[in-house]
Amino acid sequence: MPGSKKPLRYEGVELRVQLVALLMTLALSVLCLQLWRLQMVHLAEFRALAEDNRVWPKRLKSERGVIYANDGTVLADNRASADVVLVPGECPKERLPGVCESLERIIEAPADLTLAKIQESAGEPFTQITVKRDVSKSALMRVEEHSYDLPGVFTVVHPQRRYRYGKTAGQVLGYLNEITQEEFDSWDNYSKGDLVGRSGLEGRYEKWLHGRDGYMHVTKYAAGLPQLRTDARGVPYIAERDSLGNTLEEEGMRQEPAAGKPLHLTLDIQLQTYCEEILGNETGAIVVLDGDTGAVLALASMPGYDPNIFVNRDFGAPKRKKKTEPKENAGAPDAQTAPGPEEKETPKPADGQEASNAQAAAGSGGAAPTADSTPRGNDELRELLGLAKPDPSRPNRMIHRGYAGQYPPGSIFKVFLAAAALEEGLITPETTFFCPGHFQIGGKGNSWYCWRHSGHGSVTVVEALAYSCDVFFYNVGLNKLGVERIAKWAHKLGMSEKTGIDLPGEMPGLIPDPEWKRLLNKGKPVWEQNWHPGETVNLSIGQGGATTTPLQNAVLMASILNGGVRVRPYLNQELGPQNSERLFSEATLATVIKGMRLCVEDGPPAPSGTGHVAYTPGMAVLGKTGSAQVVSLKVQKMFKRPEDVPRKYREHAWFVAGVLDRQPKLAICVLVEHGFHGAEAAAPLAKKVIDFYYAKTGSRETMTARQGDTDGDVLR
Amino acid sequence: MAMYSAEFNVHDATMRVVNPRNILRIDWMLPIFVILLAAAGWFTMYSASRSSDVSYFYRQVAFFFIGAAITLIIVCIDYRFLVSLAPVMYAVIVLLLVAVLLWGTEIKGGKRWLRFGLFNLQPSETSKIVMVYALTWYLTTVGPRIRNLFWFLLAFVIAGVPMVLILKQPNLGTAGCLAPLTIVMLWVAGCKRWHMAVIIGLGLSVIPLLWLQMRDFDPEIETPRKAAYELKHYQKKRIYTFLHPEYATRKSGWHTYQSKITVGSGGLSGKGYLKGTQTRLNYLPEHHTDFIFSLLAEEHGFVGAVVVIGLFAAFLLRGLMYARDCPEMMGTLLASGIVTVLAFHVFVNIAITIGLMPVTGIPLPFLSYGGSFYMTTMICVGILLNVPMRRGLMFIN
Repeated sequence: MPGSKKPLRYEGVELRVQLVALLMTLALSVLCLQLWRLQMVHLAEFRALAEDNRVWPKRLKSERGVIYANDGTVLADNRASADVVLVPGECPKERLPGVCESLERIIEAPADLTLAKIQESAGEPFTQITVKRDVSKSALMRVEEHSYDLPGVFTVVHPQRRYRYGKTAGQVLGYLNEITQEEFDSWDNYSKGDLVGRSGLEGRYEKWLHGRDGYMHVTKYAAGLPQLRTDARGVPYIAERDSLGNTLEEEGMRQEPAAGKPLHLTLDIQLQTYCEEILGNETGAIVVLDGDTGAVLALASMPGYDPNIFVNRDFGAPKRKKKTEPKENAGAPDAQTAPGPEEKETPKPADGQEASNAQAAAGSGGAAPTADSTPRGNDELRELLGLAKPDPSRPNRMIHRGYAGQYPPGSIFKVFLAAAALEEGLITPETTFFCPGHFQIGGKGNSWYCWRHSGHGSVTVVEALAYSCDVFFYNVGLNKLGVERIAKWAHKLGMSEKTGIDLPGEMPGLIPDPEWKRLLNKGKPVWEQNWHPGETVNLSIGQGGATTTPLQNAVLMASILNGGVRVRPYLNQELGPQNSERLFSEATLATVIKGMRLCVEDGPPAPSGTGHVAYTPGMAVLGKTGSAQVVSLKVQKMFKRPEDVPRKYREHAWFVAGVLDRQPKLAICVLVEHGFHGAEAAAPLAKKVIDFYYAKTGSRETMTARQGDTDGDVLR
Repeated sequence: MAMYSAEFNVHDATMRVVNPRNILRIDWMLPIFVILLAAAGWFTMYSASRSSDVSYFYRQVAFFFIGAAITLIIVCIDYRFLVSLAPVMYAVIVLLLVAVLLWGTEIKGGKRWLRFGLFNLQPSETSKIVMVYALTWYLTTVGPRIRNLFWFLLAFVIAGVPMVLILKQPNLGTAGCLAPLTIVMLWVAGCKRWHMAVIIGLGLSVIPLLWLQMRDFDPEIETPRKAAYELKHYQKKRIYTFLHPEYATRKSGWHTYQSKITVGSGGLSGKGYLKGTQTRLNYLPEHHTDFIFSLLAEEHGFVGAVVVIGLFAAFLLRGLMYARDCPEMMGTLLASGIVTVLAFHVFVNIAITIGLMPVTGIPLPFLSYGGSFYMTTMICVGILLNVPMRRGLMFIN
């Protein structure tokens, strides 16, 4: 146009715009390069990170192995325990207070407490808030009935250990406690919060009973996990699809939990129950072995504890109300009475999940009622674990007196001495010693008395056993065997060493010898290190520092019964017997047996054997009484009448007994702490055990379990 | 309207301020890219909204059509008329930015919104377009005198006033947008090369200054600011997170960390439509707004991401073509300014999602959810389309 000379643009502007375009293209290319780096070069890393984000292995808790008695009765199994949980993220916010109030109405969970818990986890709306633990079947059903009014409320079920007989055999079964950090670090296949065996069989067979946890791989949201839910029957499931229709569980990735191995015991639960019952309020132990094999038929110790308390642990958290004692409340106020009605169902070994769920249906209703929710467990548990101040007047309940209690053997040690001396050939059945009622070394110095101060006159070994003549054994111990040989035989017969029973915490006892004394008093004057003949005299009647466990004495009894073989006691049937070679000749055994039979059978009006209380007509019962002093005679003599002696100064009452002509041959050892005299306190218990056992079974040829036949006379 | 014609164009007798016939003369290349990008946006938005609220998708589609109507209206208005209004726009926006600082509503630690009865206004968002107009007006008015240092620096004063006001809010992202805009427009306007070099050198000198501030920074300890030039704690924290990705996994940089996982796990071809786990499971926050590109890269992989970047490049280069081919300075400046604003958004947003830059709230045109930003984008499209309407001038000349 002719009018306009003004240039509308300067020269080179195109170049400048093109440079801008070039820079822009370069910038976008940088983006592409970074995309290449992330998506192509580092793909694997980011894929893995994304997968970690996405998939979460949700644990399916395995069940602990079931423990059975020798007749197939279930001693310890798992019940399905249901918790009511609330997932705030799945409940509309404005309805939360209403839901909490409903829960208070339905299952008595305080609404303010629930709301406070929701507040605490405000940042993680998809966590499970436990509203109430271990709810009853009826509460579970009420929750399910109201499920439409309770958005975000679910029930989750997990297996929980249940000891069906409560206190009975509680110490033998042992208790569970939470896994420690060190254990968690070093053991495979455990998760935090798992309960592991701490004592008894649960402790000894922890790896045996512990199952393998399963996993379901579920899709995880950034905000939280999808919840494992439980249907009305207690079967866990996971919602298959989320609200967007996406599958939540990874297909083909599920790993079912494997229950722990079942443990079949040699324990006769009826006999065990009976033994604990007859011990009653006494402090003591009764050990019953199969004399031929060493199988433990009963291992009673009183007082004991109910291991259920540990499983339903809730100490230290007062804000959470203690739930229940499943066993005790099930209409069994006394642990010795019959277990709840559901125990009658025949237990099926090793059928894992389904059985326990079925039991949950029956069990959580029957065995875990809400009726009585007094938090008894707290105080009792604190006491048991030594958290509370110990009450000195009450005996320790954690220790099993049968294999972990060490007591001076007293007169029952004479059986050991007699057998050893006979086997060494140092005495014969005809050897006699004269008992004037007292004994002096070399005819001078201190006097040792026979329990019968008038004396037994001239006695053979058979009579000495029958009437428990102390002087006879002073002579045998000091003048015939000597301390070295006593030590040798103590080792042979397993005194002062563990019997090897499959239980943790067994104590070895102690039979003193010169070597031991020298080591004990090392650094002290020589006369304190040296062994004195008087100590051998004391040792000869099982005093003077000698200690044994009831189990050791039962094992000794067993070897008298079974032809001179030392047995290794065992509880797990799969271990089977493990016997030593013969230690005694027939002749030795015949003599000892004769003495022990006479002890029981020689009744009044004759001189009367000390164990006559255990006499059973028509049965070859062997016995030996023992009364082990716990304080010197001087202390006892401070009291005029025997009844005046305070309990803690009284002798421990022992009785070992055996049955020779029945199968199985029972080897029994009874100990009653401070029971005074074996003949009065311990022997009657042994007699009761013998009567009970053979009346119950007749003369059983074998130990075969009679399955499904246990209802009739169970626990009377 | 004709009374204005003499003022801004004497050569085109047929020129009218509002000319609906412009719609028939639209260059069809740019709208094709726009529609493809918008379609990619809907496609992605549908996937993003599935895990939260599907209405985002419907609204995003609606925004496009409302925006398209606005585009057509803008196309019909002669850009010279709008540029002539630039001084008024500039004055209004500065006033609004001051008002925001005085009476603004505070959201997430920044005063950005002005509340009116019916709608909320974010003046800093609008200021980007206004600054394009203001600088276009200024640079066309100044003309060749821009080679003079005074006029060159005056441009920075003009750009600096709203920039400082926006920084005060504080809104680092928008203020950051104004800097490249000013530089690109000055460059296109024909400033002296060494002027530009000095300015860019000064800009880069901020880096050691930042380094001094960041040297002893501990994100866990919040210390009061000592000097005015010092960054706020949360800003330092973002930079710190960017420089120390391992810190990201713990706390503040969850966005960047998860976004990188999201993009990286996509691979070559992606996890498949609607199958992105990171976004579906809510690991990536704000995946329908600022981080939507991650979702795209996760589900469609490297291929999908590069295709979308390619579309953006095509769109922007087409815009620069209008700038290059516009016969008059005003159109060239306007188009290159608009393209710079959009390119800044595209580059910074994507750079953030792939971990090349610290997190600032910059949306991605056509893909991120948000009505007002969609409108802004579509207005930009309208302005761009209006520029080649003036191509006829070449023949007149």
